[in-house]
Amino acid sequence: MRKSDFLAALGDALQGLPKRDINQSIEYYSEILDDQMEDGIREEDAVAELGDPKEIAKQILMDTALPKLMRAKGKPARTLRAWEIVLLILGAPVWASLLIAAASVLFSLYITIWAVIVSLYAVNLTFALGAVLGLIQGGIFLFAGNYMAAIFYFGAALACLGITVLLFFGFNKMTGKLVALSNQFVLWIKSLFLKRRNTK
Amino acid sequence: MDMQLKRGLLDVCVLAAIKKADSYGYQIIKDIKPYVEISESTLYPILRRLEGAEQLTVRSVEHAGRLRKYYHITSSGLERIAAFQEEWKEILAIYQFVTREESENA
Repeated sequence: MRKSDFLAALGDALQGLPKRDINQSIEYYSEILDDQMEDGIREEDAVAELGDPKEIAKQILMDTALPKLMRAKGKPARTLRAWEIVLLILGAPVWASLLIAAASVLFSLYITIWAVIVSLYAVNLTFALGAVLGLIQGGIFLFAGNYMAAIFYFGAALACLGITVLLFFGFNKMTGKLVALSNQFVLWIKSLFLKRRNTK
Repeated sequence: MDMQLKRGLLDVCVLAAIKKADSYGYQIIKDIKPYVEISESTLYPILRRLEGAEQLTVRSVEHAGRLRKYYHITSSGLERIAAFQEEWKEILAIYQFVTREESENA
């Protein structure tokens, strides 16, 4: 493949993104290829080493922020005909509600992941509060001269403290995994947008 | 190597490659390649990300009748390298601790 073919294929595969972004990508690869050829590498070899322009475009799209990607991929490939627009408007009660439902499901899944994280730390905070209150209550009993109750509350407070520390480390680990999961979820949504274009 | 770790390392490598003097895409790849695996298509998103984070700036310079983009490190890019060095001092200390345990057991 020649340089011009490679750049044309890359530009095609990025169609839908803002012109500025497409040009930026093409300029980058054009410069890299020119520099390689200047370094004495044959044009065909330099292009072959870069790999499939479709794969490169996919990577660039996956690195694009989700809102920009949605705008790019939501745009129809050609301008709509009048009857298509009429149909779209008439059908709006059906497709719009389905679309909103689908978006809501995805959004709620995303929120759920973060809700789990928040509730983990809420549980942890509860144990920490338990420890503090236990110490205070124990102190009150100590001054009141009720030693048995004081010992009981101090013991409970220490147990809460221990659980707090253990849970904190455990939850931190789980949170790391959950954050990774939510990142993967966003990547998956992105790949849904990319697939739509490829099947056309 | 861990993906997240490698991503961070590559960012710092690219910044280090333009630390002494401004450089361009192909030269950056040639400079980094002996140390860590990097390809043209992995460098591109890194440059975009670092530009977005304002750790480098881009300017076009004419070269052999065409334009070539030179990347210039910013003060926040230099800070990123400094932070990396600090972080690795700690990691190195931990590494020495871990390997010491091993040699005592052997």
